[in-house]
This record gives sequence, C-alpha cells and structure tokens, in this order.
Amino acid sequence: MTRQDFILKWLFYALALLPVWWLDLYVFNRLPVFGVSPRLLPVAAITVAVLEGTVGGAGFGLAVGILCDAVYYGTWGGMTLGLCLLGWGAGAAAKYVLRRNFGGCLLCAAAGLSLLALFHVVSGLFTGLAPLYPLLRVAVPELLYSLCTLCLLYPWFSWIYRRVPKPVGL
Amino acid sequence: MKDFFRNNGLLILIIAVLLAAITAVASYAFQGMPSPLGNVLGVVTTPVRNGISSLAGWVEGVYNYSFRYDELQAENERLKAEIAELEAAAREGEADSQENERLRELLGLRQKRRELEYESAKVTARSSTNWSSTLTLSKGSDQGVAAGNCVVDAAGNLVGIIDAVGVNWSTMITVVDANLEMGAFLSRTESIAILEGDFTLMAEGKLKLTYLPENTELITGDLVLTSSMGGNYPSDLVVGSIESIHTDASGISRYAIVQPTADLDSLVQVFIIKSFDIVE
Repeated sequence: MTRQDFILKWLFYALALLPVWWLDLYVFNRLPVFGVSPRLLPVAAITVAVLEGTVGGAGFGLAVGILCDAVYYGTWGGMTLGLCLLGWGAGAAAKYVLRRNFGGCLLCAAAGLSLLALFHVVSGLFTGLAPLYPLLRVAVPELLYSLCTLCLLYPWFSWIYRRVPKPVGL
Repeated sequence: MKDFFRNNGLLILIIAVLLAAITAVASYAFQGMPSPLGNVLGVVTTPVRNGISSLAGWVEGVYNYSFRYDELQAENERLKAEIAELEAAAREGEADSQENERLRELLGLRQKRRELEYESAKVTARSSTNWSSTLTLSKGSDQGVAAGNCVVDAAGNLVGIIDAVGVNWSTMITVVDANLEMGAFLSRTESIAILEGDFTLMAEGKLKLTYLPENTELITGDLVLTSSMGGNYPSDLVVGSIESIHTDASGISRYAIVQPTADLDSLVQVFIIKSFDIVE
C-alpha cells in the first residue's frame, strides 16, 4: 500500500467518524433509554479496530480518544489511553482469537464497553461520586444501549472498510 | 513476545501513554481552561454548532406554529394578563422604592445596589455522557466570560456555573451536576445551607440541600436562592424550590431535595453574569 493509499484510507475513516460524532452529540443524547444515552465513539473505535487489526485499531483508538478528551467534559486524558488500549485489544482479539464479523465485533464491543463501565464504577466509588447501586444503574443500561448502536455502526464502518485501499494480499 | 508488541503497534501505545499523561497533568494544572486541542476543536466547531442550534430552533418554531398554535395562543393570552398584573405591582413597587430611598437618606444608610453585567449566549451542545450534566455555550474568553461565572435563564433562574472557557465557547456545569457545590439562602426562613449536586439525583434533574439549619421548620415549596457567602456568586438568584425533606441514614442530620426552577432540558438562550456589584 502506498503512502497516498494509507493517507486516503484513514481520511475516509476520519470522515466516516464525523456523522457518528454528530449523532452522538445531537441525536442520541436527546433519545435516552432508561435515563441514559449511548456512547457511540468507543463503539466506533472498537468496530474499526476489529476490521483493521492491532496497529490500525490502536492508531484509530488513539485518534478517537484524543477527540473524546478534547470535547468531553472531565475525562482528564483517560480516553486517549483507554480507547488506544481498547482498539489495540480489539484488533488483537479479531486477528488471533475471533472472526472479523459482526459476532466478533459484538464480543469485542461488549468486552471493551464493560471495561469502560468498570472503570467508571470503580473511579466513581473511589472518588465518592455515589454508592455502587446508583453507579451500576447508569453503567449497565449505558453498556447495553451502546451495544445496540453496533447495529448501526458495524454496517457503516464495514461499508467504509470494503471501499478503502488495503495492503496487497488482503 | 517483544516482537509481537513491536509488530503490533507498541509505538502507538507508548504515544498514547505519553499523551494521556500530558493531558492529565495539563488538566490538573490549568483547571478552568480547555486543552489546546480542545480549544481549537471548539473554535472550529462553534460556528457549526451555532448553525445546528439555530436550525433546531427554527424547526421547533415551525412545529409549534403548525401543531401547537391554539396552545400557544392561550399561553399568549395568559401571559398578557400576567404582564398587566405585574405592571400594576411594579407601579406600587416604584412608590415603595421612592419612599425607601427617602427613609434611607434620612437614616444615613448605604444605598442598596444590584448591578449585574450579562452576556447572552446560545446553548450549542448538551453533555453526551451520562456521568456529568454540562452544556456548551456559544461565548468564551473573547467576550469576557471566565470560569466561575454564573449562568441564568431568561427569567433570572440559575442554570449553572461556567467551568471551562475557550476562545469563543465555554462549558458550564448545570445546577444538577454532581460536582456542583455552593452556598444557598432560604428566603422564607432567612437561613443559609449548602447546595450540592448528587449523582443519584442528577438523572432526575434534581439536587440536594444539605447542612440545613437546626430548629428551622422548612416546608415543601420553600424557595432556595444563591447566597452571597464568600462573594464568589451573586446573591438572590433563584435556584429552585424544596420538593421534600429527609433525614439521612445516620438519623442525625436532615437534607432536602431541590427541584431547579430553570427548565434545563429545553434551554436555548442563556445569560452569563460576567461581573456583579451588589450592596445589600
């Protein structure tokens, strides 16, 4: 794959992320279910990681994490590291353990979002934000609702994946 | 193992660790200021957000005109009657003020004064996480907005406090955010307490009033205002009213649940209090 193809590929993914960000910012946070709205950007990062593998997943996760830290309130750099690691992990799992299909992506997203929820709950307990039950009452519906959005995001990024340049041999 | 990591993006992981550490340190060191990238993103996206916000307002206006015309007409009639009543009350108030002024002069008291400098702003985005309650506004440091400024709605009810300020945008935490903590004044009993955001109540759009004064009988509907304690916030901004009073798990102290007066879900236009000069 030439450098131009490489740039073109990630430019397409960046452009594909824009409508996802818009949905996250203006649509889904106005459509709460059980009082919570889904988190689209982590799901997007994991989906691309499953399709692109470890290096691509870590890179895309890093970029989405930087975006999250820049626009979301009170993340303190955690999303940069967290999404990079999730992207890397999802890419590795899809490469060595799971299949690169919707089922594999669903498992990776479930695992990744569970880790994010766990982080929120533990940090909430640690900082005294709230007791366990109220934290779980937000974290669990958020995880499930976010997983549901995979039905939108997986076809969207698969469609992009089929059209972007790929390394020779794939 | 070493090769596995080397072939699978070790460099990217190292970059991520470094960037996360820099962001965390910068966030801690420069509280009230966004990260440079956050600021640039805010500057670039603010015009787009303003456009989307205006478009949403226009669509809502068209919808209201088309489907809620009768309801809006009835509301208009009711408001006209209310304005007439308020005008009458204002005329009486004017006479009372003049009398008050004369008496103050006679007694040599300081003139009461309440000057607030406002900056109007549009709500361009709402928090998209479930762990905080924030709004993004269309004004920033270029317009003189600073962290800690109070934000009120058109009726003067407190909406929140500015937390981070970019060049042409700012982020405020709303009154129900779990991080909010400020002094409160109970107008009926003329006593003070502490307003605290509570994560459990945040989803319901409510907040907590703690350190309630002992030997004071609070009742449902009591008005909760901001207090001038500490001089950080202007006094007498309406926060909300007491919805219920409870005793905590230890059975020693009481707390109250406060329902904010401002409608946080449908805010479009808000006013940032950039400076204030109040003499009680």
